[in-house]
Amino acid sequence: MWVAKVDEGWLFGDLTPASVETLTGVPMLIESSDARVRGRLLPETCDGEEDEQHWRQHAVPELERLFLSRAQLVRRDLAQMKKMPESVNGLLLIPFEHVNAWLAALNAARLALYALNDMTAEHMTPEGFVTATPKQQEAALRIDLLAEMQGVLLGDDDFESAGSFEDFVME
Amino acid sequence: MTARAATKEKTDTKTEPKTSLAPPWNVIVHDDPVTLMNYVTKVFKQVFGYGADKAHRLMMEVHQSGRAVVWTGAREQAEMYVQKLQAHHLLTTLELVDG
Repeated sequence: MWVAKVDEGWLFGDLTPASVETLTGVPMLIESSDARVRGRLLPETCDGEEDEQHWRQHAVPELERLFLSRAQLVRRDLAQMKKMPESVNGLLLIPFEHVNAWLAALNAARLALYALNDMTAEHMTPEGFVTATPKQQEAALRIDLLAEMQGVLLGDDDFESAGSFEDFVME
Repeated sequence: MTARAATKEKTDTKTEPKTSLAPPWNVIVHDDPVTLMNYVTKVFKQVFGYGADKAHRLMMEVHQSGRAVVWTGAREQAEMYVQKLQAHHLLTTLELVDG
């Protein structure tokens, strides 16, 4: 994978089929109805039962709507993904105005992968990775890939624009 | 209802000052092993308008202590902040300040 800053946003190139598959999973992970995922993305927030119920009634529906709309935005950007010239690898543009939504979506997807695969903090370390199940190892690699993208979107100090998105797209 | 009416009558006759300030609430962010540290800092800056130093210091407190009180104040505003932090998927809870 390579990254370029273009006039329209961030361009992620040479995304392997496995990376593309991880990215297309992002909206589905945000929308997951699995109790472990929901428990992390919409956690217990208040001490008392009454306060918690109030929170569930008043704050959670708005958060759910936000997550769904964010998933839709990510899905739309992914639908615009191009193929690299003469390659099966992908080319994804994340427009600047979508960066905040993507940052949160990538974070949600990483947390969801962690929860769905019953991972622990140890699995996120090199030592723990070795002892993880193959499924957990795969999840850890996906979590790392999404973190790499988050890292790019978080810090743009070292990048200058490399031109227009169209310069990178060859029909 | 009855008890409240009795209390009112009592305070009125003694002309005690009525200082019924609402208790403050803490917004608490908890550590998690997945969320990136610089993402947490960015969210603190964005949600609270904290400067880079304060945002970084609070992020480090979350990371090292497992949790940090990131804001304290009126309940309604505390709830708004919790919602904003959870919108960014920071593990956040709301807690009545002791005492």
